[in-house]
Amino acid sequence: MDISFALTGKGYVIVAADTTAAHSIIKVKLDEDKIKTLSPHLLMAYTGEPGDTVQFAEYIERNIRLYQIRNIYALRPPSAASWIRRSLADSLRSRKPYSVNLLLGGYDTSTHTPHLYWIDYLGTLASVPFAAHGYGSYFALSLLDRYHDPEASLEEGLATLRRCIDEVSKRLIVSPGKYKVKVVDKDGVRELDF
Amino acid sequence: MSIMEYNGGSVIAMVGKNCVAIASDLRLGVQSLGIASNFQKIFPVTDRIFVGLPGLATDVTTLHEQFRYRVNMYTIKEEREIEPETFAALVSSTLYERRFGPYFIEPVIAGMQRTPSGSYKPFIAATDLIGCLNFAKDFVVAGTASDKLFGVAEGLWEEDLGPEDLFETISQTMLNAVDRDTNSGWGVVVHLLTKDKVITRTLKGRMD
Amino acid sequence: MASAGGGAYSYSLTVFSPSGKLVQIEHALAAVSQGTTSLGIKASNGIVIATEKKSSSILMDDSMIEKVAVVCPNIGLVYSGMGPDFRLLVTKARKSAQAYWKIHGEYPPTKVLTQEIATIMQEATQSGGVRPYGVSLLVAGWDITRGPSLYQVDPSGSFWAWKASAIGKNMVNAKTFLEKRYNDDISLEDAIHTALLTLKEGFEGQMTEKTIEIGIITVPSLEELEAGKVEGTGRYKPTFRKLSEEEIRDYLAL
Repeated sequence: MDISFALTGKGYVIVAADTTAAHSIIKVKLDEDKIKTLSPHLLMAYTGEPGDTVQFAEYIERNIRLYQIRNIYALRPPSAASWIRRSLADSLRSRKPYSVNLLLGGYDTSTHTPHLYWIDYLGTLASVPFAAHGYGSYFALSLLDRYHDPEASLEEGLATLRRCIDEVSKRLIVSPGKYKVKVVDKDGVRELDF
Repeated sequence: MSIMEYNGGSVIAMVGKNCVAIASDLRLGVQSLGIASNFQKIFPVTDRIFVGLPGLATDVTTLHEQFRYRVNMYTIKEEREIEPETFAALVSSTLYERRFGPYFIEPVIAGMQRTPSGSYKPFIAATDLIGCLNFAKDFVVAGTASDKLFGVAEGLWEEDLGPEDLFETISQTMLNAVDRDTNSGWGVVVHLLTKDKVITRTLKGRMD
Repeated sequence: MASAGGGAYSYSLTVFSPSGKLVQIEHALAAVSQGTTSLGIKASNGIVIATEKKSSSILMDDSMIEKVAVVCPNIGLVYSGMGPDFRLLVTKARKSAQAYWKIHGEYPPTKVLTQEIATIMQEATQSGGVRPYGVSLLVAGWDITRGPSLYQVDPSGSFWAWKASAIGKNMVNAKTFLEKRYNDDISLEDAIHTALLTLKEGFEGQMTEKTIEIGIITVPSLEELEAGKVEGTGRYKPTFRKLSEEEIRDYLAL
């Protein structure tokens, strides 16, 4: 039931995810952070099977950190995406696959470009200007088709995100109440009050 | 719901006179929901081989990486570039290795094969998901629009088409076939190979 | 410990002696140089590999001895040294060629197969519980990229390409003989005769079609290559073959 959005703009990527942790039809937590900071310029929103999500996200987080400790530099977004995809693709054909869907937003400090990747539990990897997972995607993707602008300022980007969240709140029966919104740009990762 | 149709996508390859062409759509979807309109399914193998990998998108990437690895190893070990016919055998054996837990991909291969006398002849082939090779003289199709592609290609393809005519034929075949398929489309990419040149063109298609 | 020959370094695994030698490998080479002479000559339009085969008793059926072996339709082998070790390597080489065929739909180029055999021989110099192979090999083959090529592989696993080479008991004399006789545009027919003449030098006893073995590579013509697979068989025409006793008798008679 969880929902996540992400969109690129001029020199940044916004990643947003709802903050509800649900058990069956019960909301058990309202301030769950489903976006991990993998490295100084890399964000990952994770949704899917409870349990799998946190386990897998922490596995990725620790390994990306290990790479940075070993090599001084962190993996750049395309390489990180490729490695994370491979982890999921290998998991898919294992005895117990992780069912985790990801949105990976990063800023490449050597080419000065924002990157956004849509990754699902099968290990499907797509480089996209905007993306969504969960029921939110049915509302948000068409809105983003209409309003997304790769050259938009952060304020304009956040306004577009607002449209998506408002639409989901208005039309989806089981719409979540709160979202956590993070942004990554040349200055690194930060959380925004939204 | 078939796994082969989960993400959508189609590929076609055609033989011309001293040239070959291979084309695919650019859509990536999750059943009827479109996710991306820039998802490449055709990859260069050498300067005169292309491979198209329609099917389950995760396996598109996995197999592309697998083939790149194996072709790189071949090139280093043998100190020569792989030929289309040999690459087709490599694709077939790679897929058959997973006979009882296959990759959900039906590859299409297009290339210019070097002959013993030093000239080049067009080569196309396709396999099913477990590597059964199909060498064709005219054209091969695969993916969610394969039935439509067969129909249109059967009508438009002629023998001994020159590069320009072949480009037009494969482009029109692809554009019109994917328009009748809900899970393919969102733009088309065409690669045209002659013995010494590759021309790649991206075509606009209907975005619905 | 052991004191004979190379002293403390002659036994156990292959270990470096303080002078930097691997004595076990040198012993393997000694075993090779006790073996019957074999040789190979690359001609302008083919290759010949030949060896003498000696049976220790007249009661032995020498038609059963095989010292020149077909690995795959385009590659053949001959050896000097220990027969049983050769048999094992031939089996492995044949398997390797078939494994290559299963993946690529064609037989391996000579260099690739030679490398494969050399790897097997090198591993025996670094693994525990085994001894190096007591053979040197001559590999003759043809492939589309490199044409005809002749390689020698030694027990250490090192290999080189030759225009002509000899291994075994009489290798020093044979090589000197080949150096005098060889030129770059020798024909296959001439090469076969040179091979016979070279073997004859230092041949013990009568040289007949029963006491030598010959294998040849013939370079296919452009027409044969363009024609591709042979009608009916669905295969390419083999480029390596062994000469029959009749053929050898004819060459000896000339």
